[in-house]
Amino acid sequence: MNRAKRYHPLLLVFDLVNFVKSFFVFFIMLFVVGLGSSSNYFKYGRYVFILVFVLSFFSKIIGWLTHKYELDETSFRLYKGLFTKSELTVPFSKVQNVNRHTTLFHRIFKMTSLSFNTGSAGEDAEVKFEVISRAEADKMENYVERAGKPLPTGLDDDLPSVEKEEQETLPGRTVHFKPTKNDLLKASFTSLSFLFLVPLLFSFYFKIDDIFELEEEKLEGAFSYLLSSWWVLAMILVLIVAVSVAFGIGRTFLKYGKYELSSDEKRIYISKGMVEESAFSIPKEKVQAIEITQSSLKRLLGLAKVKLTSAGSISSGDDALEINTLYPFLPVERAYEMISEILPDYRVTEGMESLPKQSFWIRMLSPSWVWLAATAALYYFRSSIPFWDGAWWVLSVLLLITVYGMRLMDFFHTRYVLNERFVQFKKGSLTTTLFVSKRDKVIEVKVTRNVFQRFLGLASVGTVNRAKPIRHEGVDDVPVELADAFYNWYIGRTKEIHVE
Amino acid sequence: MYVENDAPQQRLSEDAVKVWLIDEAIENVIGFVILGVLFYLDYRFSWKEWIGWILIGLVILSVPGAVWSFVRPKLLYKSWRYDVTEEFLQLKRGVLKEEHNLVPMTKIQSVATTQGPLLRRYGLYTVTVETMASSHAIPALPKDIAIGLRNQIAQYAKIKEVEG
Repeated sequence: MNRAKRYHPLLLVFDLVNFVKSFFVFFIMLFVVGLGSSSNYFKYGRYVFILVFVLSFFSKIIGWLTHKYELDETSFRLYKGLFTKSELTVPFSKVQNVNRHTTLFHRIFKMTSLSFNTGSAGEDAEVKFEVISRAEADKMENYVERAGKPLPTGLDDDLPSVEKEEQETLPGRTVHFKPTKNDLLKASFTSLSFLFLVPLLFSFYFKIDDIFELEEEKLEGAFSYLLSSWWVLAMILVLIVAVSVAFGIGRTFLKYGKYELSSDEKRIYISKGMVEESAFSIPKEKVQAIEITQSSLKRLLGLAKVKLTSAGSISSGDDALEINTLYPFLPVERAYEMISEILPDYRVTEGMESLPKQSFWIRMLSPSWVWLAATAALYYFRSSIPFWDGAWWVLSVLLLITVYGMRLMDFFHTRYVLNERFVQFKKGSLTTTLFVSKRDKVIEVKVTRNVFQRFLGLASVGTVNRAKPIRHEGVDDVPVELADAFYNWYIGRTKEIHVE
Repeated sequence: MYVENDAPQQRLSEDAVKVWLIDEAIENVIGFVILGVLFYLDYRFSWKEWIGWILIGLVILSVPGAVWSFVRPKLLYKSWRYDVTEEFLQLKRGVLKEEHNLVPMTKIQSVATTQGPLLRRYGLYTVTVETMASSHAIPALPKDIAIGLRNQIAQYAKIKEVEG
């Protein structure tokens, strides 16, 4: 692996497919719809299109010819540039997590894409191989992981030994979770994914409307016919519900059908997706924090979503699949268990403290700027609000009730605890989030106290963690004693860190 | 009680108050000139009614703001404290809202001294510190203290944690 190589030639095909995908609409407009048209707009548009196409294709070819990569003992070396040559070195030790994404394109050619994400900002934050053969990807992932170790033993880069090694390491993995059919069915109902059909139907309707310009009157006639007989209506409702449910289940199966959470001594692996496969892996010691989220529905059903925070970026390219989440429909108890299984260094403390009485008052009495602004706006536009004259103040009162309802919920949900090396914050109104981090992963802390908090003996505490983007967490209106303990707790981190 | 008693001890230069006062005065003059121009334009081109209201609102907010900006520097100076140990940079400041920061030396990426025209007049420097997540500034320190502090932080920040 120590000779500079070009990227896989299929990268060019991949780029071509992407180009076609993103300019498909333009293409249809210019060459199909506007073919007969002799307007200058279409005529020159076609030339510009061809020019752009040719130029971008040539630039891709030149890019392919000049971009090279090589892996030495400790780092990636990336070369690029035709006239201005650049050489970039990315040490393996800076890699925070590894993402693999296999789109349909990749599957057709038995390829995959692989990216090594570092914590740095900007363009060079990831080392990405858009198209790479699976064997090569496995080999590289293994190599990078191995080289990161302090004592690299037998770091020969000849192919057979690495491949043998890899086969040996695979059985070392423990599978922690794989959803059963039952789990998936449950998940598809709790995720409410069957509701996704509604917006889809709407957009479908509008698209049809755009193309065929449905006549409103005819449509209304059809509707009134449907509504006139109850059994037709009932049939349609049943049909819609059935399709929605089928759609929701299908969606969940596609997304989580092949979900697998596993780990070995060093790393955690998550993979999912039936058609488009994604895989994520992170070394255990690079998990910056854990986040456990529960929506209201999940709270009722006792389910939770666990997310691992990494300092590297999570989404690879345009897919925003939440690949760093453990299976999002885990029973809470099982979720806690699993955290201690996969991350023995972490522990979720269950008994947490709630806010004191004084913070109830400070939270209730502080003015709601949102409500004030909204009320002012409602008052100003009161004449143009439909329904009736007094509507503006009814809306304002409703908003106030909502604001206070949320505040109340947040107050009762808020919990915090400092436990030896860990800090835990829980908060949220409808959706609650429990944040757990270790003090050696917290990179900065702050305590603030405004006039009222000083008067009531309260303070706000906050932590900063590495993530993308930087993660600020904290709790407002905790007793000042806790703020002191928090400061001292953080000072104690010097015992745990190791300096180079 | 750490936040209340064991707070950092080092203070800024006393000239900080003067620098901030001049700074605030300049800002206020500019602000009021802009408001005046807007009022004139509003009157001259008879803008919509609500714009007038917003302008009046701005004046109502700016007047106490201006008064406050002449009281604040003295209080802010009194509240500012910082300290540097081998392990942490500690900051404390704020009049109405008090803020305490604790930044590990090992997380500091860079440290610099800067000086604007006002600071130069009084021979002062601002020390700025960048970490992976944020940047902090200790404003208005006398030259030798500022440079000494910068060098000291640079010295301490050389040590890096094993990133795990």
